[in-house]
Parts: sequence; C-alpha cells; structure tokens
Amino acid sequence: MNTVRANGIAVHVAQLPPAGDEPAPPTAVMIHGMAGDTLASWYFTLAKPVSDAGLRVVAYDLRGHGHTERPLTGYTLDDFVDDLDALLDAIGVTGPVHLLGNSFGGTIAFAYAIRRPEAVATVTTIESSPPTPAWFHRVAYRLSQAGQPGRRLAAAREFVGATSVARELPASRLPGDALIAAITCPVLCVYGGHSRVGELAPDIRRLLPHADVVVVPGERHSLLVDRPETVREVVLPWLLRHCAKEVVR
Amino acid sequence: MGVEEGDILAEVANMLRAVLGEAADEDITMDTTFRHDLEMESIDIVALAGRLQARYGDAVNLAQFVAALDLESVRDLRVGQLVAFIAGALPEADPDKVPA
Repeated sequence: MNTVRANGIAVHVAQLPPAGDEPAPPTAVMIHGMAGDTLASWYFTLAKPVSDAGLRVVAYDLRGHGHTERPLTGYTLDDFVDDLDALLDAIGVTGPVHLLGNSFGGTIAFAYAIRRPEAVATVTTIESSPPTPAWFHRVAYRLSQAGQPGRRLAAAREFVGATSVARELPASRLPGDALIAAITCPVLCVYGGHSRVGELAPDIRRLLPHADVVVVPGERHSLLVDRPETVREVVLPWLLRHCAKEVVR
Repeated sequence: MGVEEGDILAEVANMLRAVLGEAADEDITMDTTFRHDLEMESIDIVALAGRLQARYGDAVNLAQFVAALDLESVRDLRVGQLVAFIAGALPEADPDKVPA
C-alpha cells in the first residue's frame, strides 16, 4: 500500500504514471467525496483514461476515509485543504495541478484554489459546489442523517460515529462569496439532472460566471460511478483543451 | 500451478492479509474471490495494487491492469486471475529469478 505522511497523518495515495514520455507532464489530482466514499470512485472511473491521455494521476483517501489514517478530530474544511497542500508537497508535485473533485471533494478543490491560486491550473467538479453556506447546510444535514440505521452506507455511519466530523465540518470557517468569485482558473462543473445538488448550479453561475456547467440528464448524485463513460466524455476533452493551452503558454 | 505461481500466490496472500487484517484469516487459494470470500471493498483492491506495484515494480503494471476494470468487474476478481496476470507479466526482469 502506498502511504505518505502528510500534515501529521498517514495518507493512502494511488498514482498512475502518464502514458507517453513527456518530460514534464501535467498532474491531475482526484479528490473523492465525504463519508462513505474513497479514492476508488476515481481510480476505477477516470484515473486510467486521464493517465492514458498523458497526465500524471494522483488520487488519495481523505482523512478518516478508506486506508488513510482516521484521527478522532480535525475535520474542518481547512484541515482537508491543509492535507492536500501537504500531500502535494510530500509527493513532489510542483507546478499548477488540475484538480478533480467528486461531491465534497470538489469543495476541497475550490477551497484549495482560493488558498493557493498559483498552484491550481483547473478545477473540475462532479456534483459539487464551492464552499457556500447553502452547500454546507446540505452537507451538515447529510452528516446528521448518517447515524440513522439504513440511511447511509455502513462506512459512512462508522466514520461519522467514530469522529467529530458531524460537529466540526458544518462549523468550518467559510471563505465567503468574494473569495469564491475571485477564482480565475478554468472551472468545469458537472451535475446529474435528477440530483438535488444541481439546484446549486445557479450559485455557480452567479459566483463563477466563467465556469462551464454541464448537466447530464436523468442522472443522480452518484453520477461518477454510475456513468463513468459519460463523465469521461465530458471531462477529458475539456481537460486536454486546457492542458494544451498551458503548454502553449 | 507452477512453482512460480505458488510463490506468487503466497506473496499475494500475505499482502491480502496485510491489507485486510483479520478479515483475511481464512485460507487464500487461487479460487478465492475478492468479493464473496474476502468481502473486499474496491478501496482494498486499490491498496493491494499499491503493494503489488511496490513489490514487483513497473514490470507488473498492476495499477494499470486494475484501473482498466470497472467497479463491478473488479469486485468479481479471483486471486488466481491476479496471480496468473503477475506470472505472465513477470519477464526475466524478476529479481528473484536466477537465470539457468
């Protein structure tokens, strides 16, 4: 198992080397969702296609998830951003990265782009939102329901039961609209047409008018694992277009 | 099963025990299935792939092999499929194999 120490915890990382022999390939970092999700959602969906397209792919388990260490406390948005920052440093990623986030993983990507704008080339999110109060309200509700039998996966229940995440994460310090609106890198937001998270799309258009927003009709919140081919067809050309611009620049 | 596959099976079984802990206390054979016998989650398979990558290096491109599967078929893997893949992918580059 590939484990890296970052920000004081042992983080499980999976990396796929890029196809081709580009000396300085761009890096894609894939971030999974909150409570019950793991890096496997990316690993078995977009990781290989993106590495086949010539990017170095890094996916990792968030603190408390998968095979990454589970501290009892330390689950604010800032903690997750600190982890990402320390991880990229620990594995020697330099230069702007392409962040891909599923659900709350996308929120971490946005928050990282706010904190380290120079370190982020693009942000791609699936069924996600920047760190707005409306989104955190939903996340808090989902976490509060995770303890109810049958409501969520066993892994989510176990995580929420064993840690302070349900208390800490909703109380996170949020950046506010002005800092979200100051994100200038290219942004792609993908939603499922039957998911309620898509209701937050108007917020995206208001705060990030330059973002590309794609809605996949009929799909739910689990869009990434339910329809990996569709997500790939939307995300990959977009990503490669922006990688090409980077090279030209 | 050749001697080489037997050795690989033993190594894979040890890695599975390391990844799964007590969950893998039963006998692990070529016919053991990831999902039904070992109750592995997809994330456990990624962790196993990482250990194999560290052990066999890039000659056995298991991360690519596994990443090419989808979430459903990866859970249906048998230990034997993995062992056969490793044995087939290991060229003369296997550091443990002494040339005759």
